[in-house]
Amino acid sequence: MELIEIRAETAGSILKILVAPDDQVDVEDVVMILESMKMEIPIVAPCAGRVTEILVAEGTSVSGNQLIAILARVERDVR
Amino acid sequence: MAWLDDVQEIERRRARALALGGAERVQRQHDAGRLTIRERIDALLDPGSFVEMGALAGEGEGDNFLPAGYVGGLGQIDGRDIVVGGEDFTVRGGSERDGRTKDRMILEIANEFKVPTVLLHDGAGGNIENTLRRGYMQIPTWSNDGLEVDLLATVPVVAGVMGSVAGGPATRAMLSHWSVMPKKSAQLFIAGPPVVKRAIGLDVTKEELGSSETQVHVGGTVDNEGEDEHDCFRQMREFLSYMPRNVWELPPYLEPNDRPDRKEEALLSIVPKNRRQPYDMKSLIKRVVDNGTMFEIRPHHGRCLISAFARLNGHVVGIMANNPMVNGGALDGPGADKQVHFMELCDQFRIPIVYFVDCPGFLVGPDAERSGALRRGMRAFWTTFSITVPLIQIIVRRCYGVGSVTSSRTDHLKLRIAWPSGEFGGIPIEGGVDAAFRRIIEAAPDPVAKRVEIEERIGRLRSPLLAAEAFGVENVIDPRETRPLVIRLLEMAQKKRGYSLGIKSRPGVRP
Repeated sequence: MELIEIRAETAGSILKILVAPDDQVDVEDVVMILESMKMEIPIVAPCAGRVTEILVAEGTSVSGNQLIAILARVERDVR
Repeated sequence: MAWLDDVQEIERRRARALALGGAERVQRQHDAGRLTIRERIDALLDPGSFVEMGALAGEGEGDNFLPAGYVGGLGQIDGRDIVVGGEDFTVRGGSERDGRTKDRMILEIANEFKVPTVLLHDGAGGNIENTLRRGYMQIPTWSNDGLEVDLLATVPVVAGVMGSVAGGPATRAMLSHWSVMPKKSAQLFIAGPPVVKRAIGLDVTKEELGSSETQVHVGGTVDNEGEDEHDCFRQMREFLSYMPRNVWELPPYLEPNDRPDRKEEALLSIVPKNRRQPYDMKSLIKRVVDNGTMFEIRPHHGRCLISAFARLNGHVVGIMANNPMVNGGALDGPGADKQVHFMELCDQFRIPIVYFVDCPGFLVGPDAERSGALRRGMRAFWTTFSITVPLIQIIVRRCYGVGSVTSSRTDHLKLRIAWPSGEFGGIPIEGGVDAAFRRIIEAAPDPVAKRVEIEERIGRLRSPLLAAEAFGVENVIDPRETRPLVIRLLEMAQKKRGYSLGIKSRPGVRP
């Protein structure tokens, strides 16, 4: 099982978390919304997979490149 | 028929050159998922256009003959002349030898005839065995008298990182206007794992050290990434299709495949009314430029900024744009570095720039300060004020602070066009109000309500139409008119670019 890290690309705060552990996501599904520079920036899944860990909560301040969630990659399209 | 024997001997020797370092080493190259230098040159060039120089060079007698570890010559891409060369990894791992070398001759031809240069790197550079052969240690010098540096001022130079590239070839790959490497089969590093182990005691694989993940995505050392070697060659051909032959010529005009007056309905709704919601800037750009002509430069690094070559009514244009999906479009260090390089590239080859602006300013916060974002950002600003090619600014949405001044020149002709979604200011209202009205806000019975009230009062001044009335912006347009208007402006500027061709003088010192 290949674990894929999801990182905040830039500093900001987590506005919304749209997935929970064990959820299946498809590539480019929005997993969280990061509030940064007064914009609501979607953070998307880099590949299809199962969410294994969420490392932040709504309202958490994150720095650039901070690890925020982990996915277990699945090769097939889950939808 | 007097010379028939000699001619047959030339053929025999040519055949030996084609065999490169021998079947076994060629097989090893293929097993590593890599093409040989001859296969690479064939894949890159127009069929039958390669004219090799120095094919017979090598050493050893009869069956022991080993060709020189470099293949190069003249070629054509889309019927246009280039020179091309690359190390042959199957001969001593593409390492360098003393004496007059073919790689230097390739650069000399490019310099003499002023033609674009493509260098396909695959090798580790210096070979310590040469020291034994020579009998003494040499002071390090640049073996080509800085020809690579001269070429950067005159002709387009493309570097391909095709295999395990270290040392000399790695440094030469950096002396290019644009570089590309395949995803899996190539690595680039200053020095490979054995040298790293001796120097800092670290065990690291060559993939960790220098894969495209490291060099394209994280470091931005190499500009673009190809799916495989063939994709790299396709990208090289595309890059060169936007380049002039040299700085004394204008970039090539191609009969457009698109109408200049095309007005895309989608542009009317691409920017969300909700000011906090980002949108797809790349799709916006694609709707303005000629169909299918957008080629992104450095797409995986400094992603707050988009830089691309495209065509507008057949004319080459450099596209820059803030990317609201990354940093909300705020300019950070890597984005600023990308802007400096791309603007200089456009300026040198007389490519006009269209800048789609959605920038809240420089990125703020500890990450930005620690990474030198202010200095790097002002380097981008300095570059904007140093270039002389036409620059058209389209204010798509946010345009705040000096971070967004890097997208326009206020000391030249002002060509600033705003969409109705455009908003601008020296400092943003949110944040700016907190700083300027702090005492009033704190003294109010309900500070939050007071702040909102002031923000709303100033917010009513946000409309670009108010600025247009005061002629504070040259044009506010229907977004659908962007393509026809920009084409008219660029075609007006077209002739002028031809008045001052040649080598660009270097202005001053970068901040």
